Order: sequence, then C-alpha cells, then structure tokens
Amino acid sequence: MDDKQDQFLRRARPLTRAAAVASVVAIALVVALLLREPARADAGSPDGPSPFTLGEKIFADRSLSASGAMACATCHDPAHAHAQSNDLAVQLGGANLDVPGFRAVPSLQYISFMPGFFFAPDGTPTGGFNRDGRAKDLLTQALRPLFAAHEMANASPADLTVRLAQTPYAGEFRQVFGDNIFSDPEATVLAVTFALAQYQTLDSDFRPFDSKYDYFLAGKVMLSDAELRGLALFNRADKGNCNACHPSGRGPNHESPMFTDFTYDNLGVPRNPDIPANADPNYVDMGLCGPERTDLSERLDLCGAFKVPTLRNVATRKVFFHNGQFKTLRDALRFYVRRDTNPEEFYPIGPDGAVLKFNDLPPALHGNVNTQEVPYDRHPGEAPRLSEAELDDLEAFLNALTDGYAPGGAPAP
Amino acid sequence: MIRNPALLSPVSGCTSTSKRLRLLLSVVAAVASPLAAADEASLQAEIADLRAQIEQLRSQLKELATQRGQAPAPAVQAAAPAPVAGTSAPATAPPSELAQRVDRLERTVSAQAEEQSATTLFSYGEIAYSRPVHDSSQTTADLARAVLGWSHRFDDRTRMAAELELEHAVSSADDKGEVEIEQFYAERQFTDRVGGRAGLFLIPIGLLNEHHEPTQYYSVFRNFVETSIIPTTWREGGVAVYGGTEWGLDWNVGLTTGFNLANWDPSSQEGRDSPLGSIHQELSLAAAKDLSGYVSVNYVGVPGWTLGGTYFTGKAGQGVPDFPAQDARVTLWEAHARWQPGPFDFAALYSRGTISDTQALNLTFIGQPTPVPQLFFGGYVQAAWRNIWSYNDYSLTPFTRYEWVNTAAAYASVPQGLGVPTSPTEQIWTIGTDFYVTPSIVFKADYQQFRIDSSKNSFQLGFGLNF
Repeated sequence: MDDKQDQFLRRARPLTRAAAVASVVAIALVVALLLREPARADAGSPDGPSPFTLGEKIFADRSLSASGAMACATCHDPAHAHAQSNDLAVQLGGANLDVPGFRAVPSLQYISFMPGFFFAPDGTPTGGFNRDGRAKDLLTQALRPLFAAHEMANASPADLTVRLAQTPYAGEFRQVFGDNIFSDPEATVLAVTFALAQYQTLDSDFRPFDSKYDYFLAGKVMLSDAELRGLALFNRADKGNCNACHPSGRGPNHESPMFTDFTYDNLGVPRNPDIPANADPNYVDMGLCGPERTDLSERLDLCGAFKVPTLRNVATRKVFFHNGQFKTLRDALRFYVRRDTNPEEFYPIGPDGAVLKFNDLPPALHGNVNTQEVPYDRHPGEAPRLSEAELDDLEAFLNALTDGYAPGGAPAP
Repeated sequence: MIRNPALLSPVSGCTSTSKRLRLLLSVVAAVASPLAAADEASLQAEIADLRAQIEQLRSQLKELATQRGQAPAPAVQAAAPAPVAGTSAPATAPPSELAQRVDRLERTVSAQAEEQSATTLFSYGEIAYSRPVHDSSQTTADLARAVLGWSHRFDDRTRMAAELELEHAVSSADDKGEVEIEQFYAERQFTDRVGGRAGLFLIPIGLLNEHHEPTQYYSVFRNFVETSIIPTTWREGGVAVYGGTEWGLDWNVGLTTGFNLANWDPSSQEGRDSPLGSIHQELSLAAAKDLSGYVSVNYVGVPGWTLGGTYFTGKAGQGVPDFPAQDARVTLWEAHARWQPGPFDFAALYSRGTISDTQALNLTFIGQPTPVPQLFFGGYVQAAWRNIWSYNDYSLTPFTRYEWVNTAAAYASVPQGLGVPTSPTEQIWTIGTDFYVTPSIVFKADYQQFRIDSSKNSFQLGFGLNF
C-alpha cells in the first residue's frame, strides 16, 4: 500500500461510516413510513372528499334546515358576494320561514381574513365574527345560523345530525370524519363547522381579489377619471376620510387592502322600523354591549358600536349598515356626509318639531356616537364634506371594488 | 482600549493609505509623530516603510563604501529603549541612527500591542434636549442613542467590526426605542493600497454618514441634509473594494442591497421627513432581488482639503408581485468639500435624489398625504472656529450652518386636481458652540431657526461622548 492509497483510504473511511449511518437512517424512515397508520382522510386529496369539498356541499344544502328551504347560501348568495340577494332589512327563517331576524346579512366575502376579537393596546375593540364580534372564529360563527330560531333552526345537534346523515354526501362525510361520526352529534356539529370554515377559508370565491381596483393596484389597468377622483375623496382626510376606517392601501407586507381596519364605530344609524323587533320600544340593538352579545354589557361606552365592514363589493349590497336602514349605496353615502348637516333627512321629527337624532340609542348613550371625525364633524348650516358631484365620483370608485372585473372589458356578470 | 477609526470607515482606511505614502517622503516627520495619537496598524505600516527606506539607504552606503574602499556601517546597533513620543529626528540622520530609532519604535509598538487585546470595545452616545421657542410643551429630552461596538483583529490585514445601537433609551413593545445592528462586517487589506469589505456597512457618502459620532459634528442634532436627503446612518449589506492612489485620491466602490419602494406608506409623515429613510431596509429581512451599486471618491492630496462625492443607484421594485412601480429606480448623489486651514473648519455639501417610474404607484396613493416624490435635494455650508478658547483639555468651538432642504420637490404627474402640492424648500440656520471637556466628551448648545415653518425654531442642548 503506497502513501497515496493510504491517504485515500484515510479520507474514505469517514465517508463510509457516514454512508452507513445514512443508510440506517434511510431504512428506518422507510420502515416507519410503511408501518405508519393510513393517512387521515381529513388531510384531503385532489380527487377524494375532504373537509373543503364537504364544506362546499353543506354551505349550499337547504336540507340541513328545519324548513328544508334555507341553506347558508340562501342568505349568503355567492352571486351577490356572499351577501343577501334581496333588500329586506332582515331575513325570514325558522321551520316555516316566517321568523324574522334582527340584523341585515353581512357579506362573507374575505371573511377568513378577520382576526379574532381583541382589544388593541390602546383599548380599541378589534376583530371578531358577527357584527358584534362575539364569535371568536369561523367555527363558532357557523354555529349560530345552524341553530338560531330565525335561521336554519335545527333544534339540536342530534337534529342536525339526523338531517346530515340523510344527505347524498353522508358517505363522504363518514369517509372524511370517521365511520362513527354520526353516532356523536357534538362531534358531527364540530365537523360541520370545521368543514364550513375550511370552505370559506380556502375557496377562491371567498377571496378573489379581482376587482378593477386590484388590477389598478397592480398597475395593470387605469381607473377612469371619475374613479380616480373618487379614490382621492375616499382617501383625503378632509373630505370623505373613508380611508381612516376602510384602508385602501396595501399593508406593511404588501398584502391587498381589506377596506376595513376590523375596528368598531358608532355611527348613530337611524332606527329601522322594518325590523319587527323594533316594534318593541324597549328593544335596542346596541352591538358590542348587547343584547345579543353579553360579555361586554357593562361597557356602556361601547354601546351602539358595530364592526366596520369591508367595502369590497359594497356596490353589490342590497342593504346597508347593521340594520339594513338604507337600500342604496347612494343613500348610505349621503347619510355619512349629511347626517350632521341635514339630520332631518334621516331621523324622525318629534312632537316639538325637533329632530330625533340618533333615535336608535337611549339618549344617555348619544355621546357614544362618532361626531368628531371627518365627515361627521359638521353642523346644521354647514356644507357637507362632499357635494352631490363628489358623491358621484366616490360612488364610481366604490363600484371599482366589485370583484369579477375583466381587464379590457366590462365587469363580469 | 481605544477605538480604531480605520476599522469603521473605508474613507478613513483610504486616508491612512495616503498618509503612509506621504510618510515615505518624510521619514523623519513620521518618526517624530506622537505615538499616542497613532494606531497600531498605521505604526506597523510605518515601520515597514522605514525599514524599506533603511534598506535603500544601506544600499546607497554600500555603494559609496565600495567606491571608497570602506566597510558599510552595522545594520542595526543595540540601543537602550527610549520614549519615542515627542522626539524628533534630524533630516540627515545616518542609516544606523535611523535603524536604532526604528528598532525603538518597533519595540514600543510591540509592547503596546502585547498590552492590547486583538479584540477591542468602543462606544459612543448622545443625549439631546430640545425646546421649541413657540411651544415649550413640545420640549423633549432623549438619550438619542447609545452604541456599543467591538472589533477583532484576526491578523495584520484582516479584522471585523460591529456596532449594537439602542435608540431612545428603552426598546419594548410599548416604547419607541429600537435595538439595531448598525454595522457588522469584515475587511481585509489585499495590498498596501487596496482593501475589501463584506457584511453590513455604512455607505461612504457625504461627510457625516460614516463619521456620525457626536464628537464628529458640531450641532446637537445631525444636520438636516444628511438625515432627510442622505438617510444617515445609512447602511446596506454587500461587498466593497476600496483603495487610494499615491497622489491622494481615495476611492470606494460597492455592490449592496438597496431600497424597497413597496414599503412606502402614503399615509405617514415619514416619507415626507426623509424619503429614503422611510424605505431603507437596514438588512432586516431585506428584499434583495434588485441590488444597488455605488462609487465614492475623495481627494485628500492637498493638506487641509477634502473634496469628494458619491453616486448611488439601484432599482427599488424588488420583484414584489403586483407592484406597479417595478422599474422604479432610486438614485442619490452628493458632492462635498471640506477645508480646514489652521483652527478653521469650512464644509459644504449638496445632495440630490430621484425616484423614477412612480406615476402608476402614486395614482394608487391619490388623496393620501404622502405620495412618492420624484425629486428631493438639499445642501449646506458650515463654518467653525475650532478651539477659539482652550484651557488644559477644555476647549470651545463655535460654529454656524445654513441649510436648504426639500424632501418633495417634484412628483410624477397625476390628473389635474388630484395631486398634492410639492414641498417648499425649507431653509434653516443653526448657530451654536461645542464645549469639549476632552476630545472625547462634548457638551453642545445651539439655536435653529426655520424660515418657513417657524414653529420648529428651537434651542437645543446636547451631550455626547465617544471612545
């Protein structure tokens, strides 16, 4: 053995030992893979059933309601940005579709971007599901419509389980969640809400980001002159100031704008007599502090505050605000800028001729209404922050937030 | 432990190269230079130069001896160690005497080096008190920064340096302070005249960016041009090569990370205060698809004078998906001059920056208060009388400075009526004095007057140290 051979072997020996160790590890991994349990079905596969595909079916399945005529999609119509397709202030549900609800239907578009409810370091209530943020996540949020008396009105988890077990996709449900899933109603409900959450989170229909404004932000199309003027009015702190609560710019990590800062505001929206519950003068929907939400009932300073909604697809809404008081986008915009200059246009007149401003809140809580920020900082006799011509431009811009825009052509139907 | 400025500044590194060249032409003066004021690296270089000179003289002597039939003088004679500082050598000193002096110098340096670790610590920091003339409720006092630095010499030619900075005294989720690594690099001297550097380092631009310690500038706060236009302390990650010529031209070129225009916040005042300061990345998970480059030169061949400039350019779109300013380019250049005749110190600097291809991006910012400027610039002239009064270590240096700054001089065009007005060019006078307790500890006082926004007129007091 000469020196070169010896040198080569000295170098080779450690490599051989390393190769042996690597081989043992590789064999152990292969054995582990062969012996492990079969893949859980809930991991899903491109072809087989998954929580996602089941969620899609559940979302559209009317048979899961007491009436047999109401599905999630009934109120959250995919053709209307997952919001209501009619202009009723509240929807009718229950076994006979005759039980009125309490609030207008919010859009579920982009719902998965909603953070859970929390108080920011400066005390600002933020996030949460439902208009009062009382549901901490999408799973919890899905529970209410399944069992609320004025919605799908399942009497119990067992009631829902029976209906689910009779659906054409019950086998797929068992395949994904286990053969014995229907023997445990609580587990079934959890599986249903999980499937719905997966669907709303992963399906691109819930997060298309393909409005004209999205293309504009990407530099791919140009807004019209009116839309540009509207964007300016939207952003300007001395005009619409919409940007203060509905940020229009990309986030710090270049994420697309959600047009909501997920906070809450008290706008003093007029009481809507079209809501049957409002026939009772003692019933007042005060958002964060109740009565539907119960954990903040002591926080009187939060009474009347409702979550700032996304303005994506706002032009497709049939009703506006938590109580559906306004039925056109123009009326809603006009309320923003004329509420304080011309309150008589929005509130009833009292016996003494005085305008009953903020009439959907007890007088002691009127101080909660936002009267400081632009454009609510006006007074009777002053000019509104936006003129009718400027509202035309603002409305043009808001129309550019409708998803389904086809670059080079008209918005997709 | 003392701080070695050459570790932290390619310009100063280049300057030392030029000094060494000049030392070759003036051996005696170099030997007589105060040891305490010189750093070890430059002294080692000095010794090498002197030895070369000795060898040259010895060769000449040998030739003479040969011609006269005599033996040459001994190369080096043993000599008792003697303090070098303060001594002076006659210009006509024979090689043997010169060799003795070199030997003594080398022993002194070696002894000092043995005492000194290869790793050194250094630090600087400053506290500022600012009281607006028209609104005393806005008065603030702040430990603006405290910096701890360290360097390590791997060998005679290779070293590293780093700075850890804490701004505003406290850094937490509820405080405005920041903790940051301001520099972290290694450098190597390839030849006597060329070196290289890699890591996170300061861009060699202007008079302040690399020399931003409180004892290096006169006012309580750094001047506006070199904070609003040149975002001092501006550092990038990358590589650089630098060097100097015999005739006094120091140069520095680098390839670095750059700016990320996708970070521009049109709703913030930050972009109006300092356009580039609002989109610099500081090598913190920096988007680095688009690299930038710079060239910097300084001519120091005439004693007392420094003439120089820097040109920096790079794209700032960084490949961010669906970003409408993908081709935007940030360019910043500056030219500066400094003349220090006797006790006086005159300085002038002008800087101009542009950001191109911002029209589509700015359209998305319509109605917001701070779109991306297309042009921003600023300049200043400054005069100081160093040590107008001194007593022992104490000294007083009054100064004055006039600046003009515009952080949004032009915007890319937008449809009529939808833009925001450009900024006016603000003009600021600063007058004050620095009181040095030692060259490393300074108290400052000055007054600043703004021509347009007089609400900013203010008195300032400052305290800084540096070692």
